[in-house]
Amino acid sequence: MTSHTYEILLALGVLSPFVSFWILVFFGPRLGKPTAGWVGVALGMGVPLVLATVVLIGWRGEVASGNAAELTANAFRYEWAMLGTVPATVGVKLDSLTVGMFFMVTFIAFWIFVFSVGYMAGHSDEVGGKSKYHRFFAYLSLFGFSMLGLVVSSSLLFLFIFWELVGLCSYLLIGFYFDKGFASAAAIKAFITNRVGDFGFLIGLMLVYFQLGTLDLDVAAQRFAEQYAAGTGIFASHFTLFGWSLATIMGIGLFCGAMGKSAQFPLHVWLPDAMAGPTPVSALIHAATMVAAGVYLVARVFRLMTPEALMFIALIGCLTLTLMALIAIVQVDIKKCLAYSTLSQLGYMIFGMGCGAWIAALFHLITHAFFKAMLFLGSGQVIEGCHHEQDMRKMGGLRKKMPYTCWTFFIGVLAIAGTGIPAIGIGLGGYFSKDEILAVAYTRSYEWGKDDFHKHVPGEGGGHGAVEPADGGQAMLASYQDHGQAHGDDHAPAGGAQGIFENTPALPKWMFWLAIITAYVTPFYMMRCWWMTFMGKPRDKHVYEHAHESRLMFIPLVVLAVGTFVSSYFLFRPLFADAAPAATDAAMVMAIDGTADTEAVHHAHSFLIGGVGFAFAVGFAIAFLIYRNGLDLAERIRRVLAPLHTLLVHKYYFDEVYDLVWVKGCILVAKIARLIDTYVVDFLFDLAAFVTERLAAFSGLILDNQGVDGMVNGVAKTTMDVSDVARSGQTGRIRNYVLFSTAMATVVMLVLFWWAMQAGNFMTATSAPPVG
Amino acid sequence: MYCRGPEGTVLTKRLTAELAPSDSIGSSRLGGLWRLCGWGLAVAAVLVLVPEVRAQQKVIIEPTRVPYQSVEAPPSPLLEVLLFYAVAGSTVFGALAVCFTKNIVRMAVWLLVTLVSVAMLYFLLAANFIAAVQLIVYAGGTLILLIFGVMLTSKSPWVKFEPSKVEVVYAAAVCGLLVAVLAFILTATIWPPAQEQLDATTVADLGRSLMTTYVVPFEVAGVLLMIVMVGAAHLARQEKQSP
Amino acid sequence: MMSIGLTEYLVVAAVLFGAGIFTMITKRNAIGILIGVELVLNSANVNLVAFDRYLERCRIDGQILALVVIVLAAAEAAIAVGICINLYKNLATVDVDTAAKLRG
Repeated sequence: MTSHTYEILLALGVLSPFVSFWILVFFGPRLGKPTAGWVGVALGMGVPLVLATVVLIGWRGEVASGNAAELTANAFRYEWAMLGTVPATVGVKLDSLTVGMFFMVTFIAFWIFVFSVGYMAGHSDEVGGKSKYHRFFAYLSLFGFSMLGLVVSSSLLFLFIFWELVGLCSYLLIGFYFDKGFASAAAIKAFITNRVGDFGFLIGLMLVYFQLGTLDLDVAAQRFAEQYAAGTGIFASHFTLFGWSLATIMGIGLFCGAMGKSAQFPLHVWLPDAMAGPTPVSALIHAATMVAAGVYLVARVFRLMTPEALMFIALIGCLTLTLMALIAIVQVDIKKCLAYSTLSQLGYMIFGMGCGAWIAALFHLITHAFFKAMLFLGSGQVIEGCHHEQDMRKMGGLRKKMPYTCWTFFIGVLAIAGTGIPAIGIGLGGYFSKDEILAVAYTRSYEWGKDDFHKHVPGEGGGHGAVEPADGGQAMLASYQDHGQAHGDDHAPAGGAQGIFENTPALPKWMFWLAIITAYVTPFYMMRCWWMTFMGKPRDKHVYEHAHESRLMFIPLVVLAVGTFVSSYFLFRPLFADAAPAATDAAMVMAIDGTADTEAVHHAHSFLIGGVGFAFAVGFAIAFLIYRNGLDLAERIRRVLAPLHTLLVHKYYFDEVYDLVWVKGCILVAKIARLIDTYVVDFLFDLAAFVTERLAAFSGLILDNQGVDGMVNGVAKTTMDVSDVARSGQTGRIRNYVLFSTAMATVVMLVLFWWAMQAGNFMTATSAPPVG
Repeated sequence: MYCRGPEGTVLTKRLTAELAPSDSIGSSRLGGLWRLCGWGLAVAAVLVLVPEVRAQQKVIIEPTRVPYQSVEAPPSPLLEVLLFYAVAGSTVFGALAVCFTKNIVRMAVWLLVTLVSVAMLYFLLAANFIAAVQLIVYAGGTLILLIFGVMLTSKSPWVKFEPSKVEVVYAAAVCGLLVAVLAFILTATIWPPAQEQLDATTVADLGRSLMTTYVVPFEVAGVLLMIVMVGAAHLARQEKQSP
Repeated sequence: MMSIGLTEYLVVAAVLFGAGIFTMITKRNAIGILIGVELVLNSANVNLVAFDRYLERCRIDGQILALVVIVLAAAEAAIAVGICINLYKNLATVDVDTAAKLRG
């Protein structure tokens, strides 16, 4: 198949849920309750799943025959618009990562859609008295469209657009029962918290736009490397913030988006609250796919990261995985417990990304998606069966009432705990993925900087995958090794870590140890969760009696359990390993993540087998010992460690601090602003108004009334006075007229006489000349 | 105008009221000042314009030659002198009596005296025909007409309408001044020398003149009389009662 | 004083004129005003006849003019009396001060 075929298939897969969305929007109410849901399942995810399967099978063949890189290079780019001088291109990012993610998303989403049909059958779909059934599946379809679009986007711009769209869907679905106050509050919290992260993403996007002059992922990475080599562009800037260079800020900015979406440490607060949404939504969006989008984003922009940015990412991931795991210990709500476990696992992924465990982090993303989706669906089954009871303290002994759920859930617990037998290399999801992250972290902490580490030339040592605790999937890795060799000149220059990662510092050892300790905590809280729910004796008779299983909902559970068992390692890890060279571009990743066959890697190998190989057993054992006989022992321990328990129950008081700092702070600022507004702005305003008023009064009352009007009126009055005088003669009395005319005649006569006398024209007797 | 609400502030309201155009002219406090200015302007204009006109007059009016010379008139015959003064005296007395009589009928009587005296003056001036006409038309026609008027319009022939004292004073002043000025001018004027004693003008001369030189005024006067006759009849006729 | 000339006649006419004006001003009776007018007209006639007698160029002309004036005076008197009667009809009085409707 040509690359265009793949692109078209993927594009159709993206558009199919979009069509489903519009169909459900316009015709949903007519389709009715079950039909609309099945339309959503078939068109929203069924078609994409079929397409994804076709693409996956085809692509594996391409990878095996070595055509994948060529297909990636031939991918079509449509220049949609010019943003200034920067083209906004539309295209499908055609590589192994996309194909793998696309299949994972469609596969999990399809089964969750199926589960949703059963879930909504038993749930009220009425909000405000009107059925919102079709709306639920419309949202799910829109989410499918957004998530798949996010996965296939070749441009950061479109990645951002779909990024915001999945955020919107998350908001809509968390607040699906928006007539319940806590649901809408949780939706708003999720949305706003994501805005904080997305603001950072936007800053990073702008920096990419301005400094790299492109929005295309590949071109951006290429320019980034060029600019680093030449010391120009973003590396020529002397701007720093907290000691970070501009390039680091760009990386951290992009990572901020991932922090919001993947609910990393400072922005993690929304994810537990998001469990207010329907359980399928929690499984799909807030466990398997959307929250993993942050990890996916970091994987996509990995080539734009500087060592400092990666260290920041590692720090955030480390803090998240530790702190959230501890909270999960004390949670009694089954969904909250899973939510904090999700946070912790996401922290592992981010931590892995920060360490440079690019393949391992994505691999963990996939395995986690499978078993966490399954766990959530199981919890949904439990909640559904227990009459909407979410408190694990009221459960117990449910294994008899819902055996399938119990044992699929147990498989999930084993997977997340990283259960496996190190010696023979058999294990479940987490056993491979999480331990690989830990192995990379070990290498970065203890072996990094040693001479022989850097001397290794990638590709020469052959495919050993030495850091992996098991040898499984070695054959699949062969193609990746070949690929890495073929492009070794481009992506991984001989001589080990070079380029921007040349001087990458070693990972602080405390980070590594925190991750190790958490690897022991994880099995504990998961076993605690499972035991409290399914094992032991029933603690609440009412809940126990009500418990039952739904068939439609348990099929997806089984499918996902099988998927957890087998698919991940053989299917996805080779795909990501294939994508790694092109996507990471960094010698560091190459060196430690698959090609290195050195003494250091062997150290990591042996250390991990001894260090965390049996962590699951320890965790399980402790949980079993504590919760074996009900909650009494746990209660005693709680009393002993009361302050710690309180701290954990209150989630380190993050919500309270945020409320105090941000919400109350905002209100305080608003109050101050109001005071300023009232007393300063209004004062100035009133002052200005007063001055204006006085000026107007002066102008109006003095200048205008007395001056202008006075002048006008004065003219009028003068005229009137004159006419009064002139009128006074017009008495209408004939006698007066006679008097006046006589008087005037007399006066005229006098004047004329006077003038004549003056002119000498009037010759009187006295002045007359003598007779002559 | 700034507002706190649609109704505005108290200050604004007051201001609006103050700024509203006054309906009566002259309510302005400075109105008097402006009136003063107006009058000042008018007076100034007069003071400027009158000397200007006078200056123009001085240029235009040139002294001209006096046509006549003062000649000592020859004394008149004594009889004529006596008669003149007697008749002039009765004329003046009659006229003044008319002035100062308040009763309308007595005024008419004093007017008769005056008119007869004037007729006597005409005789002295050798205008016999005019004198005769004066007696016939005035004393015999106009005066009777007046008496009729008095009788027709007075509820009582003794009714009196008194003018105010101020009017009388004004009238006396104006008329006194007029007479004085006239008298001064007349006496100060050098008249052309009186001609030789002539025969009295005959009616034939007058009639010839009327029929030749003054035929148009004569005819016009006739037409005028006819119009007056029609007009007087119209004015005095009984008004038809309008419904 | 012993020579009676134009001046003397004119002075008498002037006095008549003044008296007539005075009568017109001070008499509120319409007939009284008419009488004043007659006096003034007589003063004019005296002037005319005097000029006729004493000035060469005014020969005959003065008398003709005096005749016209007399005719006019008669006509005027006729009209004036008619007006007075109308005034009396309208206002029930002959007080000219009440006939001031045209007052501005």
